[in-house]
Amino acid sequence: MRLNGVHIEDTFAEAFPMLGTRLVITADTPAWVQAAVVSMTGFATSVIACGCEAAMERPLPADETPDARPGAAVLLFAMSKAELAKQVARRVGQCVMTCPGTACYAGLRDGPAIPLGNALRYFGDGWQIAKRIGGRRYWRIPVMDGEFLCEAATAAVDGVGGGNFIILAADRRAGLAAAQAAVLAIRELPGAILPFPGGVVRSGSKIGGKYKGLIASTNTAFCPTLRAAVPASLVPEGVESILELVIDGVSEAAVAAAMRVGIAAVADLGAAGGVVSVTAGNYGGKLGRYQFRLHEVMA
Amino acid sequence: MSGVVLTIREPAGPPIDMTGVLPERLAEGGRKALAGLTLVRGRGRHRLDALFTFQDGGPPGTLILRPGGAVLDGVGTGMTAGDIGVEGDCGAYAASAMRGGTLTIEGSCGAFAAAGMAGGSLRVAGDAGDFLGAPLAGGTRGMSGGSVVVMGDAGDRVGERMRRGLIAVHGRVGSLCGARMIAGTIVVGAGCGPDPGQAMRRGSILLPRAPEPVPSGFSDGGMNDWLFLELVRKELIDGGAWPSGFPTAGTRARRLIGDRSAGGIGEVLILSEA
Repeated sequence: MRLNGVHIEDTFAEAFPMLGTRLVITADTPAWVQAAVVSMTGFATSVIACGCEAAMERPLPADETPDARPGAAVLLFAMSKAELAKQVARRVGQCVMTCPGTACYAGLRDGPAIPLGNALRYFGDGWQIAKRIGGRRYWRIPVMDGEFLCEAATAAVDGVGGGNFIILAADRRAGLAAAQAAVLAIRELPGAILPFPGGVVRSGSKIGGKYKGLIASTNTAFCPTLRAAVPASLVPEGVESILELVIDGVSEAAVAAAMRVGIAAVADLGAAGGVVSVTAGNYGGKLGRYQFRLHEVMA
Repeated sequence: MSGVVLTIREPAGPPIDMTGVLPERLAEGGRKALAGLTLVRGRGRHRLDALFTFQDGGPPGTLILRPGGAVLDGVGTGMTAGDIGVEGDCGAYAASAMRGGTLTIEGSCGAFAAAGMAGGSLRVAGDAGDFLGAPLAGGTRGMSGGSVVVMGDAGDRVGERMRRGLIAVHGRVGSLCGARMIAGTIVVGAGCGPDPGQAMRRGSILLPRAPEPVPSGFSDGGMNDWLFLELVRKELIDGGAWPSGFPTAGTRARRLIGDRSAGGIGEVLILSEA
């Protein structure tokens, strides 16, 4: 398949089940919302070493938040309910509750409960107050600037992690421009996040490596500097830069939609923009339950 | 199939105990089951169809009562689902021990309305008597869920021993509002009588101005922002139940915390001083 002169390889992205949740964080100003969200979603790029993958889904205007203040929706994904609950409690406790003026609400209603205020209330040292409003339970935890209002629990949803596509570009500048165009397009969609810095990964990995005990190591097949040395290199002539976008979503459809708009944005730049081809990362279909075939996604 | 309208045949006379006249019974057994119910009026026991006429009316499954001046006690007692509308006043125990559904009273109601209520919704266009949302006589558990909106005044001991739920009274309430309250929220639009929150352990009482005098077991915590007020306001505004004198924006209020003499950390929030 060719789109605007960009070759779309006939391959698939391999993704796997994850458990996800959505939180709504509000504060007095968008800047304080941003401060809380950046802190909370920091060091949450990959479950390989971070425990969870997280990012802001979208900013929320005041008329879309429970307390009529500026806010943001955040998605977090982990490999198990226990790990998700641990990461939610730690990150909300250390990064949201600590941020001036914030409040935290559940962004999902249906599904297994993930403790939110229920896990953090003990910080109130007995002065915390439970409040049921409109059929939902909240905790009011006294803090030094007033009260931290936090919904008692959020819900988990069966999500999909590891959706991806890989951009092969003529040079680094063209690769970055294509990746950033894709990031901007994907961030317009609900239900999906790009957990890596700026939404882009440059250090894509393969499973294992030559050193004992290594879970993952650099994806040598896609390293342009190793093209001449690695027999199984997948870097074509004329490609100097390769970037990957990894997508987590609340559903298979959300990941597929994100891949579609992302690849379309890359293809819009076309061969004239220095984009050579788009491919995807997989493990031969052995690891992930989900396979997103690029040609089907773009059909 | 439409709902059923029950109109009293003879308004004059002693109160009628309406316990058991519920929309669930109508849904399960139809009009026949309802008509055959035995009701107590004074010393007498009567079939329901001997006391009321039946007509079609209202949405399906709805029960509409037209008391015409008769005193109907226990309307909606133990109700779990459906809707009851009362086109007039109710006697005592309206919505007592209610667990679900909606009771709408176009007039006023007597004492012990919503007593022991655990769920559902009661809306009173007029006034309510004493012990609104309190325990049933002899009981120790006040309202433990659901919502009550009274557009007029309410009597003494509103929300006594309340454990959960929401009571909003647009007018005034009498003495000992929220006494021995354990949790929940009481919103009072036009002030209260003496000793609100006496011996309360937790819970919130929202008032338009500070009680005079401030109860001795309460400490003045001063002004602050209370974000949960925005959620309460949204909930009540959506139902048309936010008192008209209360601010429609902002979350500032003065907080009295107590009743410290009972080891409580409940609160009286005064909104108009924001």
